[in-house]
Amino acid sequence: MCFTHSFWQLTISGLSDGMLYALIALGYTLVYGVLQLINFAHSEVFMSGGFGGLFVVQALVGSKTPHGASSVMLVLLGVIVGALVGGSIAFILERVAYRPLRRRNAPKLAFLISAIGASLFLVNIAGKQFGRLAIPMPDLYTNGNVFSVFGADVQTNFVVIAIAAAIMLVFLDRLVAQTRLGQGIRAVAQDADTASLMGVNIDRVISQTFVVGGLLGGAAGFLFGLVFNVQYNMGFTPGIKAFTAAVLGGIGNIRGAVLGGLVLGVVENLGVSCVQSAWRDVIAFGILVLVLLFRPTGILGERLGRSA
Amino acid sequence: MTTEPTPMTGSEQGPSRTNAVMAWSRTRNGRVLGACLFGALVLALMTGPSGSAQHLTAGVRGSWLSTHVIGFLIFGVVLWLLIISGSRLRGRVQPVTEVIAGVRERALVSKPVIYAGYAVALLIAILVPPQLSVFWQQVLVSQIGIFVLLTIGLNVVVGFAGLLDLGYIAFYAIGAYTAAYFTGYPDSKPGHISPLPVHPPFHLNPFLVFPLAVIACIIAGVLLGTPTLRLRGDYLAIVTLGFGEIVRITINNSESVTNGPRGAFGIPHFSAFGYHWTLSLIPYWYLLLTVIVITLILFRQLENSRVGRAWTAIREDEVAAAATGIPTLKYKLMAFAIGASTSGLAGVIFASEIGFVAPDNFILINSLLVLVYVIFGGMGSLPGAVIGASFLIWLPNVLRDHVPPQDRFIYFGALLVVMMIFRPQGVIPSRRRARELGLAEAGVGGADALGGSEPGAA
Amino acid sequence: MNRKLLVHVAAPIAVGAVVLSGCGGSSSGGSSGGGKKTIALAYQGPLSGDNAQLGINMDNAVKLAVKQANDKGDLPFTLKFVDADDQGTPDGGPPAAQKLIAQSDVLAVVGPAFSGATKASEPLFSQAHLLSVSPSATNPQLTSYGFSTFYRVVPPDDAQGKEAAKYIAKTLNSKKTYSIDDKSEYGVGLSGVLEPALKGLGVSVIHDGIPPTKDYSAEAQKVVGAHVDTVYYSGYFAEFALFTKALKAAGYKGNLMGGDGDKDQQYVVQAGAKNAEGTIFSCPCADATVDPKAADFAQAYKAMFNADPGTYSPEAYDAANSVISILKQVGAGATRQKVADAYKSVDFQGITKEIKFSPNGEVAGTTIFIYQVKNGKIAVLGTTADLVKG
Repeated sequence: MCFTHSFWQLTISGLSDGMLYALIALGYTLVYGVLQLINFAHSEVFMSGGFGGLFVVQALVGSKTPHGASSVMLVLLGVIVGALVGGSIAFILERVAYRPLRRRNAPKLAFLISAIGASLFLVNIAGKQFGRLAIPMPDLYTNGNVFSVFGADVQTNFVVIAIAAAIMLVFLDRLVAQTRLGQGIRAVAQDADTASLMGVNIDRVISQTFVVGGLLGGAAGFLFGLVFNVQYNMGFTPGIKAFTAAVLGGIGNIRGAVLGGLVLGVVENLGVSCVQSAWRDVIAFGILVLVLLFRPTGILGERLGRSA
Repeated sequence: MTTEPTPMTGSEQGPSRTNAVMAWSRTRNGRVLGACLFGALVLALMTGPSGSAQHLTAGVRGSWLSTHVIGFLIFGVVLWLLIISGSRLRGRVQPVTEVIAGVRERALVSKPVIYAGYAVALLIAILVPPQLSVFWQQVLVSQIGIFVLLTIGLNVVVGFAGLLDLGYIAFYAIGAYTAAYFTGYPDSKPGHISPLPVHPPFHLNPFLVFPLAVIACIIAGVLLGTPTLRLRGDYLAIVTLGFGEIVRITINNSESVTNGPRGAFGIPHFSAFGYHWTLSLIPYWYLLLTVIVITLILFRQLENSRVGRAWTAIREDEVAAAATGIPTLKYKLMAFAIGASTSGLAGVIFASEIGFVAPDNFILINSLLVLVYVIFGGMGSLPGAVIGASFLIWLPNVLRDHVPPQDRFIYFGALLVVMMIFRPQGVIPSRRRARELGLAEAGVGGADALGGSEPGAA
Repeated sequence: MNRKLLVHVAAPIAVGAVVLSGCGGSSSGGSSGGGKKTIALAYQGPLSGDNAQLGINMDNAVKLAVKQANDKGDLPFTLKFVDADDQGTPDGGPPAAQKLIAQSDVLAVVGPAFSGATKASEPLFSQAHLLSVSPSATNPQLTSYGFSTFYRVVPPDDAQGKEAAKYIAKTLNSKKTYSIDDKSEYGVGLSGVLEPALKGLGVSVIHDGIPPTKDYSAEAQKVVGAHVDTVYYSGYFAEFALFTKALKAAGYKGNLMGGDGDKDQQYVVQAGAKNAEGTIFSCPCADATVDPKAADFAQAYKAMFNADPGTYSPEAYDAANSVISILKQVGAGATRQKVADAYKSVDFQGITKEIKFSPNGEVAGTTIFIYQVKNGKIAVLGTTADLVKG
């Protein structure tokens, strides 16, 4: 087969892409679960995390490339700040662009248009503030080969992304399964009216859901920017891909979002070794159509409530 | 009976004052002030200086940490004062506004007034454009006219039948490339320029390409729709988005057939009964106007026909509609096909008018923009589609002269959010929609049932 | 509801607003204070959207040329600068072109910058007899469509492709080259000339196309797995920078080369100086830092815009100045037709090259230069004529 030659290498880069997709996809899926809304502006939450992390590391990194403990601290700080910025933007987004529409029971498409408007606004205001060129992050560590798996080199970048993503996914899983907030999210996702009758503060749960999604998306933005540079419009394509991944795994389903992200990343990378790279997005959307044809609600199906 | 509050010392006054402020901020007046100040800060940022990669904070510093923001904050406070006092004034003026509203209602249900309104609109559309500058004529012909037609078509899919299509621009591409293909020549004799590398079996005048484009789009619409229209609303959205991208990428990659990114150049202008269209804009405008008017009339008939009522039933509750015996898939496919063919027509006109099409004309953002025009104008309403598209294309062009060109879409995006907050039904909602939304606001029923959004629905 | 009322009232109001903003557009222009006639030199290119940065580079250069011409004080008219944003797309071309055509004091246009917008706009410029000189549209077919007033100050991509192929085959002694383009009109055009030329010189070529993206690791894998000694990327600097990072991370040790769209100091910034070191570029552009006249330009640009001149800035500057020299020659009684006719025989020494054209609008002289990143800066190695043996 065409991809057997560098199968493991491609799988590793596919998993790396996939984990970033998964982190972003979770934002889409969480919001969809509680609001049945495609939060088109989530791609800008992702972008804002990238810039937030950029500011911090630019301020702290000197001229020499750090290593060892200071590398770890810097990455940690970048992820945290990226997450916080993402969460804040998501919070503001919910308050400004969606809550007023919820108050008036506006039709779903109005939410979508508001989301598109918010996305256009945020992209262009970021372009205005930060310029339109891509901005590289200072090196936080020296990227080299850490170890080999089946002949494929695993690099520091991958290890960083993998560890950060794994920690965040475990954190999310715990949050949804074991905390009050998680219960609230699951309750609202399952049946918002009944949940409010049972005393759940819908507004607060929705706001917190946005924030959680924003934390993950913002952190993903920092990690993405670390490897691929930060730019005002960096969110558009990863946003579409991540949304595709969320639907692929089953929109509204947390484990589905993660699975969808990983599957999409790996399939894309393996796929382009077989055909011209220009067909990559066709492969991605093609997989989506095929899966939906046979499993109309995604690989793991829907329902945040049932998954956790 | 409450006791007199005891006079408090300084340290006791502190916490309860903050509590009082916090409590007040949650009241309506407090929230309005918060919104006004937030808006002021945003406006200051939008109109302030720009930053760059080398000076990342220059924009924020110049907008918020300078005198620039003061004017906006003052404006915000003034606006707040107006809003709070406005609600008091509104109460006093109410009897008068009610009388006026009553007169309006009665006047406008009368048919003669409605027809007079359309006649006036048509007259304006015929007489005004020749008076405009060439720049605005070009915008009318290559942007407003084309996108109005696209919006009317998407309105059938989204507004009438309630199907969320995010890849609508693909049919536009199919129409345009069909025109590029069939206006080529079967041979390569001198003077016979074929816009595409592939030669058609016969050469056609672009007018005669219309039916072929319609057929191609219907086939594409049915091909896309048959496997996917069973899917629920949001799944349909992502699949149609994917389809739009697949079409564009395939066109871009298939150089031997479509010339790839270079596009098709040399598509001839229309000619009929000895009259040849040229680069001159006004004849193209009249052509577009004719097509738009015919389409509007046809779709109005469709809306009020059995098909239209079936679409409404499907849109509002698909399960119930199917239960009453409506073949939902057939009607959904019909909506898809009709929308696709309208898009294809627009593609043929655009290709012939500009003479050049390329994959860059069919990017995803254009699909999203057509959807925005449909909903901004008023979902399901034909006049709404026309006004929505016209206004939202006119706006960035007029902004070009008043704000830095790269900032235009900041205003555009903000306008969309503001519009949805204050008027989610759109500029001119269809009467049925307006009723649905009014009921939804009062708490009765959902504002829409696009593809069955309640959990547990199949 | 009040729907009918809105149609009845809003439509005339809306149209009225359109009319008010539309009328008077064609009456702008005329003379400014002092009785001197005003002539406008326009620029059309992307000022918003994804390619805004390239467009702004050129916009600034034309602005600078106009300002310097006015400051010199020897013009028989006042020169004004006007720009039009076409977003670099074929959609944006016609309205932007019409905006400039409608302004009667615009007698020449520098632009359009991108080939797609050019194809959509040129029929209009030709019809209006309005001179348009592009600093950057390099698609080879542009001069074969019969655009009567179109010129370009950059050689088309076939010159660059052929010369770069010679360099790769004979100076880099490549046996196997990986040629990648970004599936854009420019990229496909350049790789489409490079690859046959390479094959003709005995180099085995692997082709791939990858639209602009961020993650090039799969592509880097393909390259490393193909065991090539040279990679040539036909595209723009931001993507080339990310591709370079991925290649170095994947352990690629061979030659790395790009075209004129890749050659920009931002490439070094965005790829990281370590990764960028040693990358080679082919470019039909002369080195702006070596020629003393160009050094003046770079200084003046920096003083006016607080940024270094970027890709295509020198070309736009030359285009503008060549037009200004013709405007001076024709004098205050200039009309579009006179300017377009006079430009046919222009012979102007610019900072990038001598501006002189063959009848179809191609600039004479197609020297291709080779550059390399050395110590974090892009330095010129020489012309292909000098560097290629045999």
